Amino acid sequence: MKTIAYSSPFVPAEWITAHGVRPVRLRPDPAAAARLAGPLMGVCPYARAFVGKAMSLPDVDAVVLATTCDQMRRAAEWPGLAGGRPVFLMNVPATWQTPASVRLYRDELDRLGRLLVRLGGREPSRARLAEVMEDYDVRRAALRGMLGTLTARCASEAMARFDLGEEVVPNEGAARVVTRGTPVAVIGGPLMSADTGVFDIIEKAGGRVVLDGTENGTRTLPTPFDRRRLRDDPMLELVDAYFGTIPDAFRRPDTLLYQWLGREPAASGARGIIVWRYVWCDMWAAGVVRLREATGLPVLDVDVSGDEAELARAANRIQAFLEVLG
Amino acid sequence: MSGPPKRLTMEELDRLCRNRQAAGAAMPGYVGPLARHVKAGDRRLLRLRYDDSPAALRLWSFLLTEEERLHEARAAGKKIVGTMKDLGTVPVMAYALPNLVAFYPDGAWWTPCVMELSEGLFGIAQSLGLGDAFCPVRAMAGAFVNGAHFPIPDLLTCSVGATCDDFSAIAQRVESLGHPILWWEVPSRRRPDPGEPAVVLPGGFEAPASQVALVRSELERLRAALAELAGLPLGEAELAAGIREANRVRTILDELRRLAYMAEPCPMPALEMLIAEMLAIHFCSDRSESKAVLSELVDEVRRRTARHEGVSAEGAARLFWVNPVADLRVMNLVEDCGARLCGTEYLFCHALDRIPEDLPPMEALARMALADPMVGPSADRARRIIEDVRAFGAEGIVISRIPGASHCALEGAVIGRAVQDELGLPVVELEVPPLADSMWPNLKTRLEALVETVLAGRVR
Repeated sequence: MKTIAYSSPFVPAEWITAHGVRPVRLRPDPAAAARLAGPLMGVCPYARAFVGKAMSLPDVDAVVLATTCDQMRRAAEWPGLAGGRPVFLMNVPATWQTPASVRLYRDELDRLGRLLVRLGGREPSRARLAEVMEDYDVRRAALRGMLGTLTARCASEAMARFDLGEEVVPNEGAARVVTRGTPVAVIGGPLMSADTGVFDIIEKAGGRVVLDGTENGTRTLPTPFDRRRLRDDPMLELVDAYFGTIPDAFRRPDTLLYQWLGREPAASGARGIIVWRYVWCDMWAAGVVRLREATGLPVLDVDVSGDEAELARAANRIQAFLEVLG
Repeated sequence: MSGPPKRLTMEELDRLCRNRQAAGAAMPGYVGPLARHVKAGDRRLLRLRYDDSPAALRLWSFLLTEEERLHEARAAGKKIVGTMKDLGTVPVMAYALPNLVAFYPDGAWWTPCVMELSEGLFGIAQSLGLGDAFCPVRAMAGAFVNGAHFPIPDLLTCSVGATCDDFSAIAQRVESLGHPILWWEVPSRRRPDPGEPAVVLPGGFEAPASQVALVRSELERLRAALAELAGLPLGEAELAAGIREANRVRTILDELRRLAYMAEPCPMPALEMLIAEMLAIHFCSDRSESKAVLSELVDEVRRRTARHEGVSAEGAARLFWVNPVADLRVMNLVEDCGARLCGTEYLFCHALDRIPEDLPPMEALARMALADPMVGPSADRARRIIEDVRAFGAEGIVISRIPGASHCALEGAVIGRAVQDELGLPVVELEVPPLADSMWPNLKTRLEALVETVLAGRVR
């Protein structure tokens, strides 16, 4: 089976699977970035690491990047990114309230579908797409149910396994949810594989992560599918569940994100917010002050570059933040 | 003015202005000594060197009085449209209506430079969460807050999609402060797939017809908003007339660029040419006057070329400049280092190309918007730069990075490599902050090294 590597939550895994191709949503490791030549200053460490990881995987047949951030859009041109493999840059519109933007997103899925067919996949029938979506929906519901029983780190790792297409079963050895400590939300951009360590850092410092609003957390899960609409027009439902509902900082206007921020941190009982972002990430950097204004909660802005020294500095700041929150 | 062209201090330029006023020379009312702007805080003007022609004096006066023009327009009952991150499309539509004036709020990115940071815009931006990791265009957010640099527009538009993250994030912050924005989508331009209907855009890039159709539909939303604001219909005839007028400006600018970048010796300094090119984006809030300003510059350049007079020595190193500089003073370095400009790509080459007049207006405008070098692959932009480098006969390339700009990190590497691979020309990358004084020796040394390399290459 052919394999597609991608990173953005706006790339529906169902669509790829329905074509008979395996979707692999990568969480790169920081070391992957170190292998790359090319500019360093100003380049997002995550984008570098993603490119490095994608280049190093021998069993990937194509790489999909999304235009949801300028750095990832431009990473599609990184010399040698694909090593002769197709690189697909998916236009995910920043606007979302017009029929034209919805149509563009849908057209881009069709274009991705044509690439999948060229790679050897098969165009799915309506029934096949609905069947795959239903399967994902069931498994995603199980994942959602399981997340609340795990520590933040284990939950994040469970989501990473789900994104890799691996079976996610309750692991008896997994640490159970922490019930004591200062409740905080972690919100922001994408995580690299080593970044799940931040959840441990928070818990060791006396905190408790009650909401994972990173790009790899529950914030970017598509809404559960409407079963009736799924049968009537699965593609329409797929577009609506992803493009119509996922809140993110790049969307214009960013109303969905601030609706989510008005709802979820309060519902989770978070007493503070840790913004987790990579240096040069403008979208989340610009949101820090607004986030404080919108939620009324104390906010700690943690910008990381992926190296260990940075993580140690971040740990100190997180510890201080939690002390202040009491 | 008599004798070969010289570069003047501001005091010398103001003396020229007073002499002309005393002699009763015909000048538009806005032309006057630049010292009046220094009094208002534009202290950088004291550090610049200026071309000594009346045409340059008019250009500078035109540029520096834009804010007054906008206030006058409002007082006269006109509506003001702020066209953010739109390098040359929506203004063409807005100026097609007689009671609209479009301007470019992003232009505030030069305010911290011109006022040498005395205006506090970066401080305000910082307080909004827009620190120095952002491109200097964050000054625009400060200008919306203090209201001291441009009137708050009646309609604010912003192109998003394939734009830099800095700008998208800053504009969103502006909207969060209570300035509603009409967002319109420009998708990331891609190469057409095999067999996919495609369109050749002005300037030569190619795009799928479906992307052009999408942009056209987005521009229709803008058309409706502009017409509503104006209270007048914005029909095909008005748009076609607006395109013809924009093309007149572009035609004059095209002649100016060809003369200034190809004549030997160089007849117009780099700094004045940067300002002149910027007029193409939104006509500095007065379309007909921008034509007159550019025409006078063309006349001056023609005169100098005929007399074989220039602002740099004959045989000066011929440089191509990529991206605008945050500190205007850096453009003075071109001549200071024994070089001259032979071509530029200041991120808006699509605003210099003629808009097709043989197409329905909205189709023509959509094609132009999608020809923006920023919305497509850096490789496309590199291709256009290579063609222009060849056409203008440049011998070296300066890629000027904009601090914090999300597009600059990777783009410079792609462009630099393409130019070196295909043309074998030397390339230098510089990062220019809004006030580059502390980096002056470094910037000068790098430019001098490029000039030396170019000149040494000739000997070989």
